Amino acid sequence: MSGSGDSNGRKVGSLRELPQSIAPAHDLWPAIESRLPAVTPERSPTEQVGPRHRRAARLRWLAAAAMVACLATGVWIGRSLLPGGATPTAPVAAAAPPAGSGLALTAFDRTYVSDPRYERQRAALMHEVQERLAALPPPARAKVSASLAAIEKAKQDLEGELGHDPGNALLQELLINTYQDEMRVLTDVHEASDAGRGI
Amino acid sequence: MAHAQAEETRVEWESALVQRARDGDRRAFERLYRDHVGRVYGLCLRMTRDAQLAEDCTQDTFINAWRALGQFATRSSLSTWLHRIAVNVSLAKRRKSGPVEPLPEEDDGVPGAEWTLETPVEVQEIEDAIGALPEGARDALVLHALYGYSHPEAAHMLGIAEGTCKAQLHRARRLLRERLGVEVN
Repeated sequence: MSGSGDSNGRKVGSLRELPQSIAPAHDLWPAIESRLPAVTPERSPTEQVGPRHRRAARLRWLAAAAMVACLATGVWIGRSLLPGGATPTAPVAAAAPPAGSGLALTAFDRTYVSDPRYERQRAALMHEVQERLAALPPPARAKVSASLAAIEKAKQDLEGELGHDPGNALLQELLINTYQDEMRVLTDVHEASDAGRGI
Repeated sequence: MAHAQAEETRVEWESALVQRARDGDRRAFERLYRDHVGRVYGLCLRMTRDAQLAEDCTQDTFINAWRALGQFATRSSLSTWLHRIAVNVSLAKRRKSGPVEPLPEEDDGVPGAEWTLETPVEVQEIEDAIGALPEGARDALVLHALYGYSHPEAAHMLGIAEGTCKAQLHRARRLLRERLGVEVN
């Protein structure tokens, strides 16, 4: 066998004394490197944390934060503002748009979100809520405003991302969930005020 | 103590190079190549007995390692990991280039891992005797007696049963004894 190099008459008494390392006759790196551009190291699934994944995680967190803010506000309104401390409507029902609007929230539909009827109704509800918010005690007003701000921030970020990646189903779902969250807060505030507890 | 510290530093340095290579740093990967090419080529050469084929196997080993670097667990030995790839590549190349020899019957009657020679023998003479062994016996001997892998490790790398690996070693010892004319213990 050629290439062992270390064989100039040296004698050994054990196979372990044979050289483990043998240098090739020439440098193989240039040939290896020339084949590397065609391939890229593959990440194991647990290590796939590229910018895309980090961005998706951040957006999920934002949407989750919006949902938490919404739920927290709903619970707080139910406990502190409504008669008997009960939430007047189930969360899902509260999330639905007002009856007669002909809008469905079961699946994402970008047209629905930007539908002028929805926008008008939302604007009217928001205007009404802003007026009633002004009548709220400062702590209550701060809590609801913070929830709405968190939801608005999540919506803006998600819409921005959807601008870059309009076909992303995850972003679409997160956005519709965030719209539902916003509607839930607005409806809760509206119904709490109707219950005549100082709003 | 100093040796242990030096080894720890080497492992940390190697882990850092692996991490950089995973991020696509080819210079880091080249450094890993230069540190390990001798042991990889030595194994390939002993398994294939053909310098050109061994070079091809060495190249493929590092290309495959580059592809699979994300799956390498940095706490394990990079050298062993590269050897596993090299064995797979060498076996695959050999299968392409010729018929596979039949495996011997399993035999547990093999002494310990220390392969000492009753009388010292010249390196080249031993290398020639190893090179003349049948493939299966040579593979098992190279991994176990030269590179120090245990029976289970060598068997796993070769994709054979541990008993078969021991039988191949038994056969290798007998043939070496005959060819070298000295007792191999």
